[in-house]
Amino acid sequence: MPYQRSLTIVAPVREGAENEVEALLAGMGDGVANGSVIDFGAVEDVHFARLMMAPADTGRSGARLPASLILLSDFDGPVDAYLDRLVTTAGRGIDRVFGACAGYPDAEPSERQRLDYLRRHRVREAARYVNTSGRTVQQIRQESELRNAINRYLDDVGRDWHGLDPGAVRRAVRKVVADDPELAWVLEPAERPGLGARVKEKAHLVAIPLLTLPFVPLLLLVLPFLAVLLRVHEKRDPAPHEKPNEELVQMLASLEDHVVQNPFTAIGHIKPSLFRRITIRVILFYLDYAARHFFNRGNLSGVKTIHFARWVFIDEKQRMFFASNYDGSLESYMDDFIDKVAWGLNLVFSNGVGYPRTSWLVRGGAKDELAFKDYLRMHQVPTRVWYSAYERLTALNIEQNESIRAGLRVTRGGGDESKWVQSL
Amino acid sequence: MGAVAVKLELGDIQGLFARGYGDLKAAAFLLLGIEDAVAARRWLSEIAGAVTSAEARPAGHALNVAFTSSGLARIGLPADAFEMFSNEFVTGMTTPHRSRILGDLDGNAPERWEWGGPSGPQIDLALLLYALDDAGLQRLEEEQTGRLTAGGLVLRLRLGTSDLDDFEPFGFRDGISQPFVEGLSKTGPAERTVRAGEFVLGYPNEYGLYTDRPLLDANDDPASMLPRDPQGSGCADLGRNGSYLVFRQLQQDVPDFWRYVDGATRGPDGTSDPHARVRLAAKMVGRWPGGAPLALTPDADDPALADANDFAYHELDPRGARCPVGSHVRRSHPRDSLDPRPGTGDSWEINRRHRILRRGREYGTSLTIDEALAGGDTSERGLNFICLNANIQRQFEFISHTWLNNPKFDRLYDDADPVTAPSAPFGGTFTIPTDGVRERVTNVPRFVSVKGGAYFFLPGLVALRYLAGMTGEPGNSSSPVGS
Repeated sequence: MPYQRSLTIVAPVREGAENEVEALLAGMGDGVANGSVIDFGAVEDVHFARLMMAPADTGRSGARLPASLILLSDFDGPVDAYLDRLVTTAGRGIDRVFGACAGYPDAEPSERQRLDYLRRHRVREAARYVNTSGRTVQQIRQESELRNAINRYLDDVGRDWHGLDPGAVRRAVRKVVADDPELAWVLEPAERPGLGARVKEKAHLVAIPLLTLPFVPLLLLVLPFLAVLLRVHEKRDPAPHEKPNEELVQMLASLEDHVVQNPFTAIGHIKPSLFRRITIRVILFYLDYAARHFFNRGNLSGVKTIHFARWVFIDEKQRMFFASNYDGSLESYMDDFIDKVAWGLNLVFSNGVGYPRTSWLVRGGAKDELAFKDYLRMHQVPTRVWYSAYERLTALNIEQNESIRAGLRVTRGGGDESKWVQSL
Repeated sequence: MGAVAVKLELGDIQGLFARGYGDLKAAAFLLLGIEDAVAARRWLSEIAGAVTSAEARPAGHALNVAFTSSGLARIGLPADAFEMFSNEFVTGMTTPHRSRILGDLDGNAPERWEWGGPSGPQIDLALLLYALDDAGLQRLEEEQTGRLTAGGLVLRLRLGTSDLDDFEPFGFRDGISQPFVEGLSKTGPAERTVRAGEFVLGYPNEYGLYTDRPLLDANDDPASMLPRDPQGSGCADLGRNGSYLVFRQLQQDVPDFWRYVDGATRGPDGTSDPHARVRLAAKMVGRWPGGAPLALTPDADDPALADANDFAYHELDPRGARCPVGSHVRRSHPRDSLDPRPGTGDSWEINRRHRILRRGREYGTSLTIDEALAGGDTSERGLNFICLNANIQRQFEFISHTWLNNPKFDRLYDDADPVTAPSAPFGGTFTIPTDGVRERVTNVPRFVSVKGGAYFFLPGLVALRYLAGMTGEPGNSSSPVGS
């Protein structure tokens, strides 16, 4: 099984059709997709998916930036195969959703036409984060079932586990699992990306620093100049503290906290100066690299609640949106940001218009608690249609389930047995 | 948090901030509606001088007063003044989203509340009365209720309280753990001393910043009654020395609690096991009935530790084999046990951003375990939960949702707070870590139900006088939003 991939479709909504699109999306879910029009649950191997509309706006030159219908999905396997599955499963739904978008074929499009339209409007993410690289939907679901099965067995009335040594407990559990044909897969290793895909990843890991290296002397040379430029921008860029009104907060909150996880999407303008436009591209390039190779085992610099995230430029890089799937409430998510990774947010979002003032790119910014929280609310896009394949599992639950299964496959005894038993 | 340097204006802060009036054993909470703004402002100016401040421990009685956002609108605070109040306060406790995060669903939905919900009586004000004994309370109450009609006020509901001798109705010693507040006389270890701005507006909070508070245009305060914004905006600071007061009337089903615990611990032959029963209840609470924390004494109650509060979890009990991770006291105050680095100052620092000052009082009579198990007593008892905080969303609501009601708290799977949380739509498991295979109980029912609640603003004394001196037209809507 290959790595998780993601799809981002951004299609301009025909001017005047925005309300029609909003109404259609509102009928498809109130924060959690209800399966109507497009049933993402029926498209196999999907982790998350969402549909939303980025509002129309005005660009740098004063030109109108159209509203965009945005479809996002995270799934296992190649993008082309996913697109095929999507169009096969939900062709009519695709027509209805994208029917209000500019250039969508009229009447009854063929599958080919649908695919072409989606492909034409596919946007490459500037950066992506995947909680744990290579862990499939199937694995997540199976390992959750395994944990439930083990716990049912442990709860079995009439069984007394008191004083039993951990090795004996693990042997007993393993026997039950081995004897259950439904759980036969447990004792096999989880499927991993193939050798070819892994070699490609390693090559990428090495290639980027190698390609960067020749530029380092030059960079060092201009560093003082860049530092001054940065400080000039940071002092000059306006950082107004705008508070969202009650209606906006209530509307956004009405879509949140229906299940254990939530989607978050925020959109904003990149600051117009060339310095900012270049800075954010460079930072997202290396953020993507770091997330791909280093922050790929359940921990984004101390934040352990994010399943998938992405940063995407739209409108010829005049605007950017950030979208994530996370555990818990927005309040706890924002507190996590501020307490654990404020510097990282500042690196990226201080290049966006209206962000709280930073100093030296990483300090300040998100540390201005209420200004930062209000900034996020002011830029948030309501995610009306959101699908999760495992809406009752946190990222930490998934990780724990994986280690329960891994521990069951170890056949030799040792100190780990006790830890394993305690982790059930 | 470092050096304690802040100077609190205790004479302007209502007394409930500094103390719960523990020696004033009798208390009653009067929930009032405003019928006539002009008369209510006159009433407010008359009683403002009698409102107890935080300056000194009151001798015989105490009186505090708090407003809901509808109360502020109805006494005449102009609509634009609400923009800088906290969103939670202005929109109230009963928005659909808030009902989800507070667990106020189904039978506990605001529609079913006796007060504070959409079908209940309009609550504009809370008058909190405290006295040494019942006779004193009666005198104070008669004096205050005698003024209501002339003051354009109507008594909507009287919430009585009872003195259960520092025990809450389930039978556990309560009120032991409170944060130390910077600037108050009682001092404690730095990691548990919280910046004053977390509980009272107009002072720096745990981020070293000022929490949003109502700042008025200086022209709205021509007599310069109100202090000016310490951040130098020139605005008149209506919020300074005020706080947000969260009020929840929580009914506790004591017979149900002990019947559940009894049933879950019966021996194989079906007989009750009093020792196992108390142990399970203590595991759920995280302290023994006498108050001793399980983290310090996991196997038996210890009267010597009844007040013990100077402890942490990570080193003693990282997995919860002593005090379960899911227990009520551990999740309502996780101390040093959470990410990013359990056992360090970083963990304490995050803990300090989610504290509240608890100021509640019990109501109803107490029941022994045997009485509870015998059944027959169906009278109502519980807690008039009151707490103070400066940022309702980051403090009271965060604790309720992310810690208490969250079945996923600190790596758990399906374990909401076994004592206070709703166990639906899921979260009804309670896991007890041991050195071997965990013990657990499932299908824990809900023992605490919500009878009413509201968010109040507890103004400083000068702010009370400012409100009393307003001359504007009263807002008529029940909520100032959109008015």
